[in-house]
Amino acid sequence: MSRVNDVGGQTGFGALEIEADEPPFHADWEARVFALNSVLVRNGVYRLDEFRDTVERLPPADYLAASYYERWLAAIETLLERRGVGTGD
Amino acid sequence: MTEFRAGERVRVRATDPAGHTRAPRYVRGHTGRIVEMQGRWALADEVAAGAAAPRVEPVYTVAFAARDLWGAGEHEVTVDLWESYMERVEGTRDER
Amino acid sequence: MSGEHASVPVAARVRRLEERLIDAGVVGQDQLDAVLAAMLKGATPLNGARIVARAWSDDGFRARLLADANAALPEVGLSMKGGIQEQRLKVVANTPHAHNVLVCTLCSCYPIGLLGPSPSWYKSEAYRSRVVREPRAVLAEFGLHLPDDTAITVWDSSAESRYLVLPRRPDGTGGLSEPELAALVTREGLIGTAAV
Repeated sequence: MSRVNDVGGQTGFGALEIEADEPPFHADWEARVFALNSVLVRNGVYRLDEFRDTVERLPPADYLAASYYERWLAAIETLLERRGVGTGD
Repeated sequence: MTEFRAGERVRVRATDPAGHTRAPRYVRGHTGRIVEMQGRWALADEVAAGAAAPRVEPVYTVAFAARDLWGAGEHEVTVDLWESYMERVEGTRDER
Repeated sequence: MSGEHASVPVAARVRRLEERLIDAGVVGQDQLDAVLAAMLKGATPLNGARIVARAWSDDGFRARLLADANAALPEVGLSMKGGIQEQRLKVVANTPHAHNVLVCTLCSCYPIGLLGPSPSWYKSEAYRSRVVREPRAVLAEFGLHLPDDTAITVWDSSAESRYLVLPRRPDGTGGLSEPELAALVTREGLIGTAAV
């Protein structure tokens, strides 16, 4: 079954929104999510393809409603929960 | 293991896997031309599924004519595809 | 994205997650700091611009770059080894009759080490869905209008390679030094959604 991320050739997403002089990250937390994912993969907690798989499994409505790094955060939390890592507090 | 050569025509298998895959839906079932073999990497589908020893396969750059994908357009789209995503189209050889 | 999460402001949610993982010894604060520092200081489009400026100035480098970018990058002090594993880089050159543009339709693959984090439009569904289907219309929204006889190739980075566009050198730049040339190169030029 095709997943919500597989959008090549799909119609209806409208015109591009191009932001002039866009910063690398729009908020500190976005950079932190980026770094966290990178380190979790580096430390072997999960693999990058497993991360992609988890992002793609977000319910389509949630995927499309979420910002890019909100998707990442949701996937990180899901993977950690599934592995029981760092969840005991 | 079969390896495709540059210039050879291949068809992307018209599969519809339940899990993660890196064969975009818009090329499945379509015919393209092998541009080059890039190297060998673990098959993303198996890595994502948690395989302890995922298959390692050649990955190819494959060019598709927009007209073949969409029925219109003069451009070309290249997609990077693992070998097992594709099958040879017998008796064809690209003239380019 | 459970209901519990939705009620917590996202920045606080990230901070708590970070703290939990550091306390549990899953990640190190020093590791997180190192990734952030490398990203914010080291990974910028200036890297890509330097590669292009050298290729414009040195035909030998240009040939080596197009043949095997990973082998050529050390000549300008760069590599594709900054990430989790070394990635293959493929540089594709624009010519008077051929234009290249990059996308990742499935997610957001991008040469982050050479260009920094990708712009939001690159990650958007609008760009990812449309550029493979109607590149001319998409490029026109960036203000790039190519002649009708220019052949367009859209590179969908769906596996382990990352791509970089080598733009055409602008006319009238014969006397410029490499740093002066590098200053002309934009991120959009390196993705292929603008000329230089």
